[in-house]
Amino acid sequence: MANMNELLTMDRLPAMPAALARAMPLLLDPNSSLDAIEKVVRTDEALTAAVLRLANSVQFGSPGRHFDLRRAMTRLGQKTLRSCILEQQVAGIVAGDNAAFGLQRGAMWRSSLAGAIAAEELARECGFEDPSLAFMCGLLRDIGKLALNVKFGDTYLDLVSVHETEQSSFIDAERAALGFDHAQVGAALARKWKLPERIAMAIETHHTPPEGPGHDQLFDVVHAADAICRWAGLGVGVDGLEYRLAEHVRRGMKLDRRSAERIIALVWEKLGQVEDAMGDLGKQGVAA
Amino acid sequence: MAGANTLQQQLISPGRVVVGIADLAMTADPDGLLVTYALGSCIGVTVFDPVARVGGMLHFMLPQSTLSPDKAKKSPCMFADAGVPLLFTKAYELGAKKERLVVCAAGGAEILADEGHFKIGSRNRTMLRKLFWKNNVLLASEDTGGSHSRTMTLRLADGLVTVKSKNEERTLWPT
Repeated sequence: MANMNELLTMDRLPAMPAALARAMPLLLDPNSSLDAIEKVVRTDEALTAAVLRLANSVQFGSPGRHFDLRRAMTRLGQKTLRSCILEQQVAGIVAGDNAAFGLQRGAMWRSSLAGAIAAEELARECGFEDPSLAFMCGLLRDIGKLALNVKFGDTYLDLVSVHETEQSSFIDAERAALGFDHAQVGAALARKWKLPERIAMAIETHHTPPEGPGHDQLFDVVHAADAICRWAGLGVGVDGLEYRLAEHVRRGMKLDRRSAERIIALVWEKLGQVEDAMGDLGKQGVAA
Repeated sequence: MAGANTLQQQLISPGRVVVGIADLAMTADPDGLLVTYALGSCIGVTVFDPVARVGGMLHFMLPQSTLSPDKAKKSPCMFADAGVPLLFTKAYELGAKKERLVVCAAGGAEILADEGHFKIGSRNRTMLRKLFWKNNVLLASEDTGGSHSRTMTLRLADGLVTVKSKNEERTLWPT
């Protein structure tokens, strides 16, 4: 059995990006002002560059026109600006490879982004009140894999696979091997990063959303978004498709084969658009 | 959307081409190696003509383009019924002959305890079989189903097709 506390006090534990820590309260508040957001963006050169690049991209800019930061922000609009900040900051921590889960460079980033897009889309479809929050949780759902990669690297699969059986999920095998799973590690990391408890819980339950006490539509949405990514082959590593879709989520969200296929296709298309708009950063995600 | 090759990969294997999701690649490069990663419910299909030395690989996601004719127009490789014909057409363009083609498939996995609700992987497999049956194409070898992800390769030098899953690699062709 491994020790979660030991895992969370490692020297090389992934840190929450500084600008993201500053931006998070603003991103969580739908009424935060552009002034306040601009201040945070300016503290981070790469983030400023990402906002400018997106605003000047074919999708948003007029050919030959270049915007300063404030005009760039206005041009993008609050919603796109917020996603851009989140995407750029999270890309920084998940862009690398993840030997523990057999994910090549860029694959985890792509899975994170696809999960965010799927969660936002599913949130809209099932009438969940805060699609942006669903986006954020989808993006962060697998941060536990970062810590496990630092700790175990490519020995992780051997450690876990001895506990796998034909019908056991990867989560079951992780728990048997370590005493906890990557979702619980992710939630602990989120708490360490002082993210709101509801986000930590969405991360913790993204493979096992509670049906009874503690049920939250947000958790259902993030859970279903993860399944969509697996079907699409986005972020599928050594854990494969060895997860279950909770019965109450399938029923509650009225997910059937046709709606799942439609959302898979939609997520794939939107992912391409976001990657194109993100330029070099997006390309990192394409190197399978 | 074509998969990018990193410099490191290029140095290790100059003819290596990564086939992304909803993508296809065709090559007549004798040093060519086609690779596709992370086949979940998606299916990878390879074609190889040992005489013309032409090989191709498709990585499709979903069975039927009727789901979204618009998307199928933009990205035919997303769908079995649009991507597979395109794979064969591209092979013929490089001189391959249907009667010589060695065709392999891998992928089509399901999430656990699907219980017939979604069957996205198995619908992909069914559609592929239907297409092949209708067009008199024989599948030389396949590794499909289950719940694990797969990486598939096709080596142009000899037509070797491998499938890697977890830490195990096996040869699909020659059988």
